[in-house]
Amino acid sequence: MEAAHIVFQLGFLQITSTVVTTWGILLLLGVGAWLATRNLSVASPGLVQTALEGAVQSIEAAIEGVLPGRSGLLLPFVGTLWIFVAVANLTGLVPELHSPTGDLSTTAALAFLVFLSVHWFGIRSSSLKTYLHHYLTPSPVLLPFHLLGELSRTLALAVRLFGNIMSLEMAALLVLLVAGLLVPVPILMLHIIEALVQAYIFGTLALIYIAGGMQSQEASHASDTTSSNAPDKKGSST
Amino acid sequence: MGLDWTTFLLEIVNFLALLWILKRFLYQPVLATLAERRAGIARTLGEASDKEARATTLQSQFESRLADWEQEKAAARSAFDAEMAAERVRQLDLLSHDLAAERDRGAAVEAHARETLRRELAAQADKEARQFASALLTRLACPELEARLVDVFIEELAGLPDARLATLKAAHNGHGPAVVTSAYPLSDAQRERIASTIGARLELPGRVEFGLDASLLAGLRVSLGAWQLDCSLAGELGVFAEAPSFAN
Repeated sequence: MEAAHIVFQLGFLQITSTVVTTWGILLLLGVGAWLATRNLSVASPGLVQTALEGAVQSIEAAIEGVLPGRSGLLLPFVGTLWIFVAVANLTGLVPELHSPTGDLSTTAALAFLVFLSVHWFGIRSSSLKTYLHHYLTPSPVLLPFHLLGELSRTLALAVRLFGNIMSLEMAALLVLLVAGLLVPVPILMLHIIEALVQAYIFGTLALIYIAGGMQSQEASHASDTTSSNAPDKKGSST
Repeated sequence: MGLDWTTFLLEIVNFLALLWILKRFLYQPVLATLAERRAGIARTLGEASDKEARATTLQSQFESRLADWEQEKAAARSAFDAEMAAERVRQLDLLSHDLAAERDRGAAVEAHARETLRRELAAQADKEARQFASALLTRLACPELEARLVDVFIEELAGLPDARLATLKAAHNGHGPAVVTSAYPLSDAQRERIASTIGARLELPGRVEFGLDASLLAGLRVSLGAWQLDCSLAGELGVFAEAPSFAN
């Protein structure tokens, strides 16, 4: 498993094979989406349109299951995560290409985007003050642990995807070198399953983190409201 | 295996670019299509709901109308049954009346036929009785019977009321002699008795003539001009035959 090599230099930017592959994926997905959605029909959808609608509705249903009523807000980000990670994972099956997700820089970038999106959607759902306040609940003493949790889960998100995809490609390469031509076929089928599962896990974890960020500040707001109402209740009881 | 910051930053940019591309060319068109289809389905469901409501209303109206029709039908049927019952009673009365009239007419016809038959049988019996009596008396005719009839004539003439005698006298009024016709020859004594009786009772000055007529069977007949005093068996049988029937 060799590291991503530099394909060309663009000024001070060194463009690696991972970035080029990602551009290819962008091109593929962009052109495919444009071609597939050129002539959408309401009355008589074709096979491709039906598949697209099924995929989008599945993503929407998954988001609705975690965050009811927020699928419109989260669908582009979470859906793009699922689609990109799945396609990027499967790119390793193409000869002479490596999965961009087998590069720690890509998985770290995706994990960093998830980290930012958790705070972005959390703040958007209420306000900055309310969102930051949930780090102090139930006690300000737990603030370091909240911060440590944020960093560790982002790191785990990046390393989990990177480690699984890199190990899959390396295992396939080793089996191909040791056993011959047809023996890696089961490994490649396992690669397909593992690629889809890892994409699902990455997107689902991102969705759960975002949902946690949006619901934690709501829970914090609710606990504050409850505690502010408590003296009234006590007073009324006395 | 290390982290390349250039790749890291470019991958962030790439992902954001892909996010925009998919949002622009995938999510928005597909979601718009789904929304349009859902709106169409909702519109169709709404129209179906409206149609169902209208159908339900029409069904309730139809059921109400059907119930009204059933009531009207039941009322009409009960009225028709009552009318039919009344008509049946009227027809039965009319038939009973006709039957009674026919029975009376039949009874009258039967009674008339029975009475006619009874009369015919009575007339036949009367006729046969007269024929039998005539045949019997004809066979019994003899001089002794004639003598007895002469005696009866003399007694009858002797006991004839004066008013009748006056009538006979006035009717004869001297028109010739009295003619006595008998079935058998009369003896002189009988002739004498007859002549003397006629002369005494009818005060006839002339003589009495005697004759024979076997058709009298027995007895005698006295002719006084246009009048006749009949005391013969044939005369009595003729009177008997011409007498009113017992059947009447």
